[in-house]
Amino acid sequence: MYLLWLRVAAILYAAASVAVFPAVLYGLVRWRKTCVHLGGMALFFHFVSAVEMLVQAHRWMPVGVREVESLLGLAVAGLFFLVWWIYDAISLGIFALPATFFLVFVPALGPDRYTFPSAGVRSSWLVAHIAALLLAYAALCFSLLASVLYLIQERRIKSKPKVGEDTWWAPFEWLPPLDTLERIAHATLEFGFPCMTVGLVIGSVLAQETPLGAAYFLDPKIIAAFVSWAVYVVLLLVRRSAGLRGRKAAYLSGAVFVVVVSVWAANLFSHVHRYGAQ
Amino acid sequence: MTLALIGVNYKTAPIELRERIAISREDLAETTRALAAEPGVVECMIVSTCNRVELLAAVDSPDADLAGFLHRHFGLDPALLATHIYERRDRDAVRHLFRVAASLDSMVVGEPQILGQVKEAFAVARASGTVAGQLEHLLQSAFAAAKRVRSETEIGSSSVSIASVAVDLARKIFGSLAGRTVFLVGAGKMSELAARHLVQQGAGAILVSNRTQERARRMAEEFQGRVIPQVVPFDQLYEAASGADIVISSTGAPHPIFRPEHGQAFLHRRRNRPMFFIDIAVPRDVDPAMNKLEGIFVYDIDDLQAVASAHMAERSREASDAETLIAGEVERFQQRQRTVNVAPAIIALQRQAEEIRQSELRRVQARLGSLSAEQVAAVEALTRGLVNKFLHPPMQALKQAARENDSARLDALCEAWSVSAAAGSEAEPEASSVAAGSASYRNEEAETERSEGATVSEASVETRQ
Repeated sequence: MYLLWLRVAAILYAAASVAVFPAVLYGLVRWRKTCVHLGGMALFFHFVSAVEMLVQAHRWMPVGVREVESLLGLAVAGLFFLVWWIYDAISLGIFALPATFFLVFVPALGPDRYTFPSAGVRSSWLVAHIAALLLAYAALCFSLLASVLYLIQERRIKSKPKVGEDTWWAPFEWLPPLDTLERIAHATLEFGFPCMTVGLVIGSVLAQETPLGAAYFLDPKIIAAFVSWAVYVVLLLVRRSAGLRGRKAAYLSGAVFVVVVSVWAANLFSHVHRYGAQ
Repeated sequence: MTLALIGVNYKTAPIELRERIAISREDLAETTRALAAEPGVVECMIVSTCNRVELLAAVDSPDADLAGFLHRHFGLDPALLATHIYERRDRDAVRHLFRVAASLDSMVVGEPQILGQVKEAFAVARASGTVAGQLEHLLQSAFAAAKRVRSETEIGSSSVSIASVAVDLARKIFGSLAGRTVFLVGAGKMSELAARHLVQQGAGAILVSNRTQERARRMAEEFQGRVIPQVVPFDQLYEAASGADIVISSTGAPHPIFRPEHGQAFLHRRRNRPMFFIDIAVPRDVDPAMNKLEGIFVYDIDDLQAVASAHMAERSREASDAETLIAGEVERFQQRQRTVNVAPAIIALQRQAEEIRQSELRRVQARLGSLSAEQVAAVEALTRGLVNKFLHPPMQALKQAARENDSARLDALCEAWSVSAAAGSEAEPEASSVAAGSASYRNEEAETERSEGATVSEASVETRQ
């Protein structure tokens, strides 16, 4: 049944992804309402699907790339609605809603075809580890997105029109104000940091309980995870101490994002930390 | 009845003439009543703004002389007005009014004030008792058309004045302006206007600095009450500027007073929080190189003017869509008017049928014998239903012919059903039969509205008036 809910959610995300364009690009209120309603319903069905999936499987953690993708999509959509609610910035939906749809699309086609043999899948700590890291990834995505949009908006305001030129202004009219973008970028970074820290701490404790013990931390994937956390700390400190914003902040956010994505991708090559590895 | 509109506006008359015939708000009601007292004028209203004075009237005689009223009332030489005045009749008058209300005829196309001014003129005329059915219907349609133009096109969405462009840019940088500090450097009129716009949008504090302290104080007092203004001595300019989010500069200094090294110092002190410099001075007060600093945005008078021009061009593009929309609304209004004009014939038809129904009922009453109340009601409902069903096709045909302005078909239909188009407005009919006729006509109209989305329910009321 959870697949049915997930498919419903995928269709609703697709519809919301379509509705968000006229809502943002043309500022049409009716489309805006439609987008929010469709996206809200999609988030609800997505959540129902995720809970049902885990309950049915008698485990509390996602197994396999598809399940993780689906939960990452849930985190992205959830964060988007949180940002929309706090900052009234529906324009980020142009990226967040289609991204969520693509994250949900493959999992909605069917379940992964392998099982996870470890008894650890029923551990609540493992669930917290994964949930915290997925939220951190989603927060980083938003931070990077807001930083990139900040750069575009800044460039747009700085490059003034000449008399007779009137086309440059229109295509990015929908961008939120610089201050809003800066606050979103900063707030999502600050939100993501404790998530990543909690995720890594729990992961470290769980790793100690594995037969590998301390050797677990010698795996390149695990080392990269701690490096990404360190870069994250540096980014936050620099932003706070120097009031870093704008271009440099965007580049730093981009660097952290690239590191984190590399760490995630390293799951495919890690010997000790793989989705559903047998 | 004919619709007539005459007037002068900024395109046809210079300000010297417009100011001679401009009517103040206090005098508007009296002047409207004076116009209503003119021979041949049945209904009227006057729109008087800084850009136009227009007299709109429903007249029942071709002799009604609206231009003569202007000459007499304002004591102007007819020859002086003749070359500046314009006159529109019927459809052209409707179109002109719709365009004016939709701000397509304004000096700044898309400006929102004109609709309010037309509404105010209408309210004054209504309070003076100089408008009734025809103008009421016309003005309501004009307001609806203007609303459609505003909501379905982007004609009024972008700013076209320097001050409002500056506010828009500030909002693009800071989002909400609530609590932002505005620093006025130099006490020029233009910078004061821009600051006023910013304060209206919620700016929290105003700092004023000028070489002449007294002038700075006077300007600061202008903002007293809305925000707490503060006068900054000119030698503390740079310290104060670093605390301001928006700096509006309009001094007469021959060289830039804000240079990149100042900008860097401001950013350092502000921990890189952005600053917006609005440079209205010529020669410029802010070195354009400041705009290259990350976090500092500089717009001089030419930049603001360029944005305003770009917005103006956007409005012009939207205006062509709005013109199409207005043309459709004028056509719809004309169709409704024609349908309203056929209402007397429809009511006469209904009355005729009702008389036949009642006389037939009386004729068969003896044969029916004594009927219970329920049976009487059933017979009533049956006969009324039959009559309504029989009448539906000819009534639709009459309305269709009216909508298409097909007078030959209209005459043929009236002749076939032995009714005259003026029948409804002839001798005062029996109250009950008119009530029945009007109610039935209203039902028909409601049905038409549902099926066609048209609003013609005022038709029967119009007819009775």
